[in-house]
Amino acid sequence: MNKILVMFMVFTVSSVSAMEKSGGHGHGSHNDESHQHSADESVNGSDTAFPEKMFSEFTSDLANVQIVIVDVNGMVCDFCARGIEKVLYTDDAVKKVGVSLELGKVLIAYAPSTKVDFEEIKNIFLSNGQNATGYIIKKI
Amino acid sequence: MNKQLYVVFTSLNVNIPYMGIYKNLIFATMLFMLSDLAQSRPVSWAGGSTIMYRTNSMMSSYTFHYSPTYKYSIGAEYVNDRYFNNHFINLRSTYLLDRHNTKISQRNIYLTGGISTKTNQDFSYGIHGDWETRRLFSSFSLINKHTKEKDYTENEFQLGVAPYLGKYDDIHTWVMLKAKKNTINNNWEIYPFIKLFQGDFLIEVGSKNSHWDVHFIIRY
Repeated sequence: MNKILVMFMVFTVSSVSAMEKSGGHGHGSHNDESHQHSADESVNGSDTAFPEKMFSEFTSDLANVQIVIVDVNGMVCDFCARGIEKVLYTDDAVKKVGVSLELGKVLIAYAPSTKVDFEEIKNIFLSNGQNATGYIIKKI
Repeated sequence: MNKQLYVVFTSLNVNIPYMGIYKNLIFATMLFMLSDLAQSRPVSWAGGSTIMYRTNSMMSSYTFHYSPTYKYSIGAEYVNDRYFNNHFINLRSTYLLDRHNTKISQRNIYLTGGISTKTNQDFSYGIHGDWETRRLFSSFSLINKHTKEKDYTENEFQLGVAPYLGKYDDIHTWVMLKAKKNTINNNWEIYPFIKLFQGDFLIEVGSKNSHWDVHFIIRY
């Protein structure tokens, strides 16, 4: 049994160490923003790393909106993202929310007149226990 | 009250290395002392509630939790303790001591505690932690339980792997291995179980020596 415990501890410690190194986000800071992007606006979506196919699927039933694509740290499971969606939908200005677990991004469709405040968005994500680290705005 | 205390502690501008950790520890201690609440997981999002049902070879329990913030939860648990042939209600709380998010992982350390409404001689406290990516999961817990009949400790470790990476709203599946021991039996039990979740529902099912180990969670 002790061997199993030792193997478990070695596995856990080595995994955490390797993954946190690859994540490269410092030493336990909850509000780690080292990868924050600069805000950007585009009318055709050609300057974002978000896959065009996924973006097209998300916007297929939308028109005349601005899409905020938010980079998120800590959104590693469906359960983790569920609260983000719930909180965002309490805002009347939010038309649609999409979650990409594989890319660690959340898409938020706002009415075109809405002034996007990234600090507010960060607070929403933080209230769910995740960190919003960057964003891009695209208008359609 | 607790929020006010936390504001007071976090507003202290004392330049001591690792003071943030001490502040969290102090706040967590006061949370348990002042509210007489304790124990359990998970902590949900701010304003989120959780209903849990758990049954295993020793007990069954029904739990309701509310998370005022993502940092802690408070709730109550009805316990049918088959080992000691006892029924009682626990007041429970969990405090998120530390969380580290990266793009591909999340690591958490929680303090937990609980006290029975039947007698203040029945209480528990402990620590648990987890680390997960979309593919791998690991966790540990160490809980000290004090009862009128006996004091004992429960240890538990879990390892898991997701055989496929589901998208948002898909059914997500985890193949898990659990190792647990309490100082009553003093034997490690190791057994596999399956964890499934979709949307707001999660269920874990395992079996060891003809005893079912089931954990069901709804979050809203």
